[in-house]
Amino acid sequence: MLTRISGGEIIDPANHRAGKGDLWIEDDRIVEAPEGGVADKVIDATGCIVMAGAIDIHSHIGGGNVNTARLLLPEQHAAHLPRPAATPLSNAGWSTFETGCLYAKMGFTTVVEPAMSPGAALHTHLELADIPIIDKATLAILGNDDFLLSMIRDNASPAMIEDYVAWTIGATRALGIKVINAGAAAAFKEDVRTFSFDDVVPSYGVSSRKIVKTLQAAVDRLGVPHPLHVHCNNLGVAGAADTAAETISAAEGLPLHLAHLQFYSYGTEGKRKFSSAAARLAELVNGTPEVTIDIGQVMFGQTVTISSDVLRQFSARGTASPKKTVIHDGDGNGGGVVPYNYRNNFYGSMQWAIGLELFLLITDPWRVFFTTDHPNGAPFTTYPALFELLMSRAAREAAAAELPKAALSLSTLSSIEREYSFEEIAIMTRAAPAKLLGLSDRGHLGAGAIADVAIYRRGHDIAKMLGAAAFVFKNGDLVVKDGQIIHYRWGRALRLNPPPDKAMVRRLENYHQQRYGLSLDWFTFPDSAIAREEPFREVPCRS
Amino acid sequence: MAVAWIGNRETLVEHAVAHAAALLGSSRCPVFTFDTDVHGTRAVIALAERVGAAYDHVSGAALARDTALITDKGAMTIAPGEARRRADMVVIVGDVPETYRGFLTDLAESAPDLSEKNAREFFLVGPSRAMPSLLNGAKVTRLSAGKEGLSAALAALRAQCAGRKVSTPVSKFDDFAAALAGAKFPVFLFSGQSSDALALEMLQGLVADLNRKKRASSLHLPASESGWGGTLASVWMTGFAARTGFGRGFPEFDPWPEGEADLHLRVSSGKSGLTPKGKGVPLIVLAKTQKPVAGAVVTIAIGEAGVDHDAVVYSARTGTLRSTVASAPSALPSAAEIIRSISVRVGPEAGWPC
Repeated sequence: MLTRISGGEIIDPANHRAGKGDLWIEDDRIVEAPEGGVADKVIDATGCIVMAGAIDIHSHIGGGNVNTARLLLPEQHAAHLPRPAATPLSNAGWSTFETGCLYAKMGFTTVVEPAMSPGAALHTHLELADIPIIDKATLAILGNDDFLLSMIRDNASPAMIEDYVAWTIGATRALGIKVINAGAAAAFKEDVRTFSFDDVVPSYGVSSRKIVKTLQAAVDRLGVPHPLHVHCNNLGVAGAADTAAETISAAEGLPLHLAHLQFYSYGTEGKRKFSSAAARLAELVNGTPEVTIDIGQVMFGQTVTISSDVLRQFSARGTASPKKTVIHDGDGNGGGVVPYNYRNNFYGSMQWAIGLELFLLITDPWRVFFTTDHPNGAPFTTYPALFELLMSRAAREAAAAELPKAALSLSTLSSIEREYSFEEIAIMTRAAPAKLLGLSDRGHLGAGAIADVAIYRRGHDIAKMLGAAAFVFKNGDLVVKDGQIIHYRWGRALRLNPPPDKAMVRRLENYHQQRYGLSLDWFTFPDSAIAREEPFREVPCRS
Repeated sequence: MAVAWIGNRETLVEHAVAHAAALLGSSRCPVFTFDTDVHGTRAVIALAERVGAAYDHVSGAALARDTALITDKGAMTIAPGEARRRADMVVIVGDVPETYRGFLTDLAESAPDLSEKNAREFFLVGPSRAMPSLLNGAKVTRLSAGKEGLSAALAALRAQCAGRKVSTPVSKFDDFAAALAGAKFPVFLFSGQSSDALALEMLQGLVADLNRKKRASSLHLPASESGWGGTLASVWMTGFAARTGFGRGFPEFDPWPEGEADLHLRVSSGKSGLTPKGKGVPLIVLAKTQKPVAGAVVTIAIGEAGVDHDAVVYSARTGTLRSTVASAPSALPSAAEIIRSISVRVGPEAGWPC
């Protein structure tokens, strides 16, 4: 099957291609224009922008905590409007099925669930497998688990720690490793209520910094393409900018990714002792090339916060709206679900402005990533509106006019003129995520890439344009036309597969027998348990 | 061995499947009850979506109490493995379902290796019949509030822990208070099987109170493991726990339409006894059986999940889903296989929810 996408404006920064032209697809791959080739199908992309399918590196779309949030909040469904019509389970709100449909409509073709508890990997992958159309991936959480903390305390060799990290990645079918408030969940079980970067987990005598540095080194030495994905300490706390700055400085030349930096970019100025530290952190990021970040933008409205940072979520119980929460002490991190309504009051407006400041003040679009930390800052269905804010100063000014001046006076947002170009959007949402995750087969439109293509009809209304793609191809299948799903398919979960060390497997078997009274196979699973054909696709580690 | 019947007449599976599909296709208000593994449940929900059915687990009433606690109030919970390793004080609330006897025994026979005390004390809040004899001789201190029920006993316990006076104090409260003062991580075991909504809410209030000054949590032991696995699958597929229906073309909370159902599909790939929903309602049964089920218009034999075929099930020992290998593999089809065959027969393939 040969398809020609004809006459569109192609924006493919990874291949330095920008301008009108044709794009050719043969089966599931992008190909060079075949000499004398006659297309079986021609897509008229005149007046359209043609980009690779978008990649979301941090969106909580499946797994135990996400499902608990669904259970806690059947009323949350309204927050995920708009909904697709006339599709199976179309009114299910934020079901797995609708998640895939809504993402595809916006031209997203790969999404990473960034917080998989290793013990609940099967549950997470079953949910991801029920998300249609798009490809998925997950990051496994380490850094609060007894096994790792004990190894660090006992001065285990770097090789032994790498064996454990490699086993975790392989057994859980993960694409990388995430550490969430390193050590804090373990400390919370011992009744510690605040935890910073140099605080120590009582029973282990291990600091948060030590945990992060240990995992960062292991991930790097194993050749895991994605740097250690760090959720810092003190999320949401006024003054957390200091913690984020300490963590950025601790990168020390090795790659490190900081998640949802907006939630840490808080200073302590002003009469409310809550101000923007975005400019300070943006400058620090700009000067630290080994660091990448994503934003976690806040958009106004009802949402629910879902986090494996159980200490933070416990502390936030009083802010729950509606007034109900779930706080779970897990085998490692556990997690918490706290519904929240971002209002355009002083604090909400400050958070909104801080996120935009970070987007606009971090100069390199290859190192800043487009996220709302779905659903923590806002549901991903707000992406079109967020694109508009980044691409239009006028849109920002119109939105800011409705917000408290007291909040905006403590941020630099109103002075920033920058507007993202389509090329920068393509870098931030396509080329850079692919590079960050080690996915050489996507994020670009070069020959050999998977035919994940998003085509948007140009218009003055940016949100409308990017919210409902004119055409979306996934693996060469035309899945969206005029913003509607026209074809269903099942994507795969992208995973690394480092070989397990046999001695480590024996050690883990003994550990689980002794500590849980269960054999290791209670916590692992075969691919066949997913009950789909080829549920996974392997991604190579760096050699 | 015959594996399918229409009425009492043996038939080929494909004929039984076609007949079941025809009945479902013409039904105005079908209802499904199930007791199967996660993949069987996924198939049940997908079929329900296609034919506009309402579905519920066979233990739906008790599971609804488990679910309502989360949906209406929220909770503080702990993973079972973490409870085993950390709980130096275990408080059993009400009757714990029989299926968790092994876990209770394991708690009694193991020490919390992540606790300074390296030992645990056991208490029971509830009726004497719930006094577990399964703790291998471990001492269990029973707390009760006279003839008051479980929720009243929990209310009194919560009030006394907060230093308030109560009309009917909890027996042996001083023992409880002393143990609580010395415990680093007390864990309360509960289940919707035996606790009503008020008791569950009162328990969570107590746990929340305790967490103001120290750590504590609760361990959820669902009324049914297969039911909780089904609940999780229902929630991710539709956004709602069972009891959910597609009668209006989209999923919504849907208590059984008593008296409205005109067709009943029963799916059991476990050992639970399933009773017909209503007399006079045509019945389709998928179950591990060697003979047609009395009164069923269609019976199709399926295997037992985890015995005849590999399965994915909820495990209260791990607090999540686990993969199990068939213990006695057979040629009997799984519930998921048969239900998908029926779905294909119901109508042309559109977008599939699973």
